[in-house]
Amino acid sequence: MNIAVLLKQVPDTTAKITISDGKVDENSVSKWSMSPYDEYALESGLQLKEATGGNLIAITCGPERAKKMLTDAAAVGADTLVHISDDGVSDSTHVQKLLTAAVKKFDSHVVLCGKQAADTNGGSTGPGVAELLDAACVTLVSEVNFSEGNFTTIRPSNSGTEKVIVNGLSVFAFDKGSSELRRPNVRGIMMAKKKPVESITSGDLGVNLDPSNVKMNSQNPPPEKPAGQKFEGAEYVNEVVSKLRNEANVI
Amino acid sequence: MDFTIIAETNGDSLHPTTYQLIGAAASLGSNSTVICPNGVGSSEASKINGVEKVISVTGDCFNIFDGGAWASALSSMCGEMILISASPNGREIGSRIAAKKGIPIIQDVVSMTEGITVSRPIYSGKAMESLTISGGAVVTLRPNAFDAALAENDAPINVVNQSADVRIAIQEAINKASERLDVTEADIIISGGRGMGTIENFSHLEEIADTVGAAVGASRAVVDEWGMPHRMQVGQTGKTVTPSLYIAVGISGAIQHLAGMRSSKYILAINKDPDAPIFGVADYGIVATWEDAIPALKSALSDLQS
Amino acid sequence: MAYEALDFYDVDSLLTEEERMVRDMVRDWVDEEVIPNIEIACRDGVFPDEWRVALGEMGVLGAPLKGYDCPGLSYTAYGVICRELERGDSGLRSFASVQGSLAMYPIWDFGSEEQKNYYLPKMASGEWIGCFGLTEPDYGSNPGDMITKAEDMGDHYLLNGAKMWITNGSIAELAVVWAKLDGVIRGFIVEKNDPGFSAPEMKGKHSLKASVTSELVFQDCKIPKDRMLPGVKGLRGPFSCLNNARYGISWGALGSAQACFDSAKDYAMSRIQFNHPIASYQLVQNKLSWMLREITKGQLLAYHLGQKKDAGNWIPEHISLAKMNNVDIALEIARVARDIHGANGILDEYPIMRHMANLESVKTYEGTHDIHNLIIGRHITGIQAFTREA
Repeated sequence: MNIAVLLKQVPDTTAKITISDGKVDENSVSKWSMSPYDEYALESGLQLKEATGGNLIAITCGPERAKKMLTDAAAVGADTLVHISDDGVSDSTHVQKLLTAAVKKFDSHVVLCGKQAADTNGGSTGPGVAELLDAACVTLVSEVNFSEGNFTTIRPSNSGTEKVIVNGLSVFAFDKGSSELRRPNVRGIMMAKKKPVESITSGDLGVNLDPSNVKMNSQNPPPEKPAGQKFEGAEYVNEVVSKLRNEANVI
Repeated sequence: MDFTIIAETNGDSLHPTTYQLIGAAASLGSNSTVICPNGVGSSEASKINGVEKVISVTGDCFNIFDGGAWASALSSMCGEMILISASPNGREIGSRIAAKKGIPIIQDVVSMTEGITVSRPIYSGKAMESLTISGGAVVTLRPNAFDAALAENDAPINVVNQSADVRIAIQEAINKASERLDVTEADIIISGGRGMGTIENFSHLEEIADTVGAAVGASRAVVDEWGMPHRMQVGQTGKTVTPSLYIAVGISGAIQHLAGMRSSKYILAINKDPDAPIFGVADYGIVATWEDAIPALKSALSDLQS
Repeated sequence: MAYEALDFYDVDSLLTEEERMVRDMVRDWVDEEVIPNIEIACRDGVFPDEWRVALGEMGVLGAPLKGYDCPGLSYTAYGVICRELERGDSGLRSFASVQGSLAMYPIWDFGSEEQKNYYLPKMASGEWIGCFGLTEPDYGSNPGDMITKAEDMGDHYLLNGAKMWITNGSIAELAVVWAKLDGVIRGFIVEKNDPGFSAPEMKGKHSLKASVTSELVFQDCKIPKDRMLPGVKGLRGPFSCLNNARYGISWGALGSAQACFDSAKDYAMSRIQFNHPIASYQLVQNKLSWMLREITKGQLLAYHLGQKKDAGNWIPEHISLAKMNNVDIALEIARVARDIHGANGILDEYPIMRHMANLESVKTYEGTHDIHNLIIGRHITGIQAFTREA
């Protein structure tokens, strides 16, 4: 079984984000990491690979620096590393077309990814790629298993969770998984170092990147939080709760 | 610009977010077509200001959530500019419709102005991004970021039967009492300190946690002295947490506690001592005993949930 | 939460990609498994067995050794591993130093092919722990006068004597013991169950509390003939082990120093006195600035020494300088960090006092600070000053 895992390299969630000239300054990001939900997709992919004797293809679309993340994936067991250049990529349609073309190029039978990447927190890639592949998609899953020709997965439901069964080419978008993530070891790292990264472009994949409908105007620091507000007495609880909803937007 | 809005539902009625989606479109002077999957809430939707037409879509595919099937059933009714809630299901349906139509999707938008220019948080809110859309797009809106439209309208309802192939099946429903989250995972944490008086009083915090899906945390003092589990401890030797909202109840705010929670996005402190250092880091502070504040907080939060 | 190390001069950017991946692997493990549990381990005075297992699984034991299922990393990578481990605790780094440099290394360098094949794979995987017996109750800085002796009994050797301050002694499956055979220092492999061998634990330490320290006692301890290391005679044997361990310590101490600096910086930024964070006061900034200065110098020293080790153009005096300097500044940084933390600095909520107490041992073991000074003094003048007898 060919298991495609879609990965994205993002600033580590603890990294400081600085902005200069109306744009996030990527050079000032101190640490780039694999997006956290993608790590669960990768772990599940490795388990599927071990259970089925499959081949795990780690695919990313990003700048040169993202190759390092593929090597990290190889250190824990990814077999094939695919880097798609993000030259000319400017919206979700581009990313999804490129990833879909790569998934097809490597004859993948199942696609795993994170439910959203920790930079844009969108959540479009899994379902979008599924649509382009004409595949089923289940999102927010915590595990994926394969038996008797079907995939089963666990997703949240109103009353807890539910076990969902899917057959055929499927995309699973991971929330936090139910398995602990494995650690690399020195042997894996030394093998990963020797593993080539296959670099491909939109041209190689035969994907046309049409001009986008979306133009980025600017990136800015978030609005300053108002100074702390203190209220004397429990009678202000309602007012504070409405501020939490309307000012802070956190409940 | 005409907007198509896919209604967000809540059991058998509209979710409050639907009013916000319609309100957001109306604020740009647009009349919207509202699509109600499985017909849920269609008569309610017809009464909301800014709605020109309601399409009540019925079909077998709506008996189970399969974003692919829902998108297939709905997309032919959608115009070029589509608004959906940035809920998990909304994001999934929106992504599939966008991919089907070959148009971009912009998720989790918190403001929208003429143009159309939208802004959304990126890097977990460490920055805001402003984008201008020219042409078709799907936009998902963050719940509670837009004003709700009022309901004084009477728009026509078209009932359409449209189903699509469902590719997934539910094999087994696993009911479980919702497990309380761990402090390192939760988006909201409510923590208690020595000011709670006794360990038994933590049950009041747990009730609130269950209402809003929060985790319960504790200061080192109560972990050490009352034997609360160490995994609940927030602070220098406990967990370092960064939730969207941290509610500190009866916690004075020793430097070791602050070290574990000061990076929370918003902090609400409830303490009877107006000089407690916790107020120095709080965005919102209420000077009150927990006995007075917690019942009020619980009822205010339950009102929001319903 | 990922740890971002103080690296003012981007020294880590000089590492190879492989070295950086190894660093991140160990760093993440220390953050997730060691730091949350270290205070309990210290309180209980145990070295958690899970750590032995994890070090074996990560494959970092005996880092620079090649072949026999050993990792085969660079000496620079070995240094980086020591630094990351010691940011957790010096006791943890001590475990790895003893296993790799003091127990595996002599077998790897001086052992027979049979010894290498038998012991090294089990030690690299962490299945077997090793220890190293050189120091005796009455012979510390002066090991050449050791009194532990071996006698050739024809079909076996008989060992008599005692070793002291032996890291991992009571939890080890085997000890590499240095003893005099006909007046010449030789290395012997003693296994846990050899008759006449015992390893009682030394209790009551105020330092390296998460590390096991023992005596090794040999009372007519009988070992087979094939347990002597054939490849070395004299003090060169133990000293070549010590060179590698000391090299690792020169990196490791920087880990402790970084932990103390990080804690002091965070504390100073958040501790308010006289209405302002104490980090805004000049005396505190002076202390932080001094810490950064010394750590940065220490990092450059360690990195350059690592390159020399990997290139093979080093002398033991290079290692003495780095061990002496980096432990010295780490200990002083721990003390200044305690000062910045005020009274809070004595609590186990902060790592300061633990690192400080650990570093007192690190300053003394593997060649005391003063002995390293004398090694360098001899290098400068050509005159040895260890003893009055020439």
